[in-house]
Amino acid sequence: MGSLKILAVDDDPVTRMLIKKKLIKEDYEIEIAENGVKAIELINNTFFDVVLTDLMMPGGVDGIGVLEAVKKKNSQTEVILITGFASVENAIEAMKKGAADYLQKPINFDELFLRLQKIENLIKLAKNAGDLREAMSVTEDNAGHTIQNLELKVGELQNQLYEIEDILLKYDLDPQDRIESALKTIGA
Amino acid sequence: MAKITPNEIKILSKYIYDISGIALDQSKTYLFETRFGKLIEAEGLANYSELYSKAKSEPRKTLEKKIIDAITTNETLFFRDTGPFELLRHKILPEVIDAGTAKSSKLLPTAIKIWSSACSTGQELFSIAIIIKELLGDLKKYNIKLLGTDISDAAIAQASYGAYNKFEIERGLARDKLQKYFTLTNGNWKIRDEIRAMVNFKKLNLMLPFGALGKFDIIFCRNVAIYFNLNDRKKLFNKLADSLAPNGFLIIGSTESLTGVCPRFVPKRHLKSIFYQVR
Ligand SMILES: C[S@@+](CC[C@H](N)C(=O)[O-])C[C@H]1O[C@@H](n2cnc3c(N)ncnc32)[C@H](O)[C@@H]1O
Repeated sequence: MGSLKILAVDDDPVTRMLIKKKLIKEDYEIEIAENGVKAIELINNTFFDVVLTDLMMPGGVDGIGVLEAVKKKNSQTEVILITGFASVENAIEAMKKGAADYLQKPINFDELFLRLQKIENLIKLAKNAGDLREAMSVTEDNAGHTIQNLELKVGELQNQLYEIEDILLKYDLDPQDRIESALKTIGA
Repeated sequence: MAKITPNEIKILSKYIYDISGIALDQSKTYLFETRFGKLIEAEGLANYSELYSKAKSEPRKTLEKKIIDAITTNETLFFRDTGPFELLRHKILPEVIDAGTAKSSKLLPTAIKIWSSACSTGQELFSIAIIIKELLGDLKKYNIKLLGTDISDAAIAQASYGAYNKFEIERGLARDKLQKYFTLTNGNWKIRDEIRAMVNFKKLNLMLPFGALGKFDIIFCRNVAIYFNLNDRKKLFNKLADSLAPNGFLIIGSTESLTGVCPRFVPKRHLKSIFYQVR
């Protein structure tokens, strides 16, 4: 039932394989990376809806590094962090940097699927809102052009009327002359 | 959720009109229910009549404010419609600055006053501020006053704080501007101090007199008059005409029109955009 494209990053091969197996079973499209550096390579090449990353990883780029790279590349990608019990505070720090959620180890997959479902719903909502906005913007653009053209036309006509009024009010001139020069202003 | 009766719709519409000038379509029952349903529950009230009586009777108007927050449509985005902002950058600001510099003595910095008169959550005014910053660079030579006002306390509070969630921020704002003028704090994007310091926000009901704000070189009054009836629109644009400095500029929403509303304003075109000046 899943329709998200997910990248899972973990330095532990057992966890990696477990996540992959479980997510494939739920029909998610999944790729894996064994460290932060590899993850960033993948992120820079393809779009993922969700990046699921371990917080503590060796090799220079940890979960926060992955999070920062993701947010820099495309803020539409959501990041879920996986943390050990001891690093909950770091996880909260990460939420402040734009992570969508965090899970504690050992991963409870029911919980993970719930979070993914929530993200999927949000993405759908955002798409609906985006579609609506786009439809509104197209309508507004069109209406805007029409209204603005009319507005200018009316403005022009109004000015002509003022001119004609001015001419017709020149009581010192001969009525016939006034009428003729009034007609001239509208090109008649 | 409590159902609203036709009589309650009548009473509530009149009340909302009195406090905000917003003319609601009384056939839109769902609008009343979706906008006030939660409020009624949160306040522990039984129905819409109670909402009305409680709001009317509160001397501190806490509930009145909440009703205004609930009924106003704060829909807005950064650089909405783009046209007006290009207009500002390429035509209006250069003209206002030229005129201002010619007028002001060498000692005083050139004064420019701009008003976003229904600023909602601030995107319109911050877009203006960003354009000014980009166009003028060093602002010391100028005395720039940017004012944003709105009737909704909640909108003004968010505008003053200057932070936007990722859905709000992605709308209309190019990535380079986002990086340059905002910082990510606590999961939200906050406008940088250099831009925030350029603007001021305060609460103001456009139905009331606002002559005390003084004269403005440029007024944005976009997508708010659409909620008012024709008579109130006429009064509003008349007052706006009085609030414009000589040769001042008025910008309205892209689908709005002043035809039959305020003959004092003449529409003028620059490239693809329209602006208004007093005849
Ligand atoms: C749709 S928003 C427009 C925001 C922005 N000008 C734009 O075009 O993107 C309309 C705003 O008008 C405000 N508003 C409604 N009635 C008002 C009144 N009587 N006085 C001042 N503001 C009002 C609402 O609170 C809302 O934030």
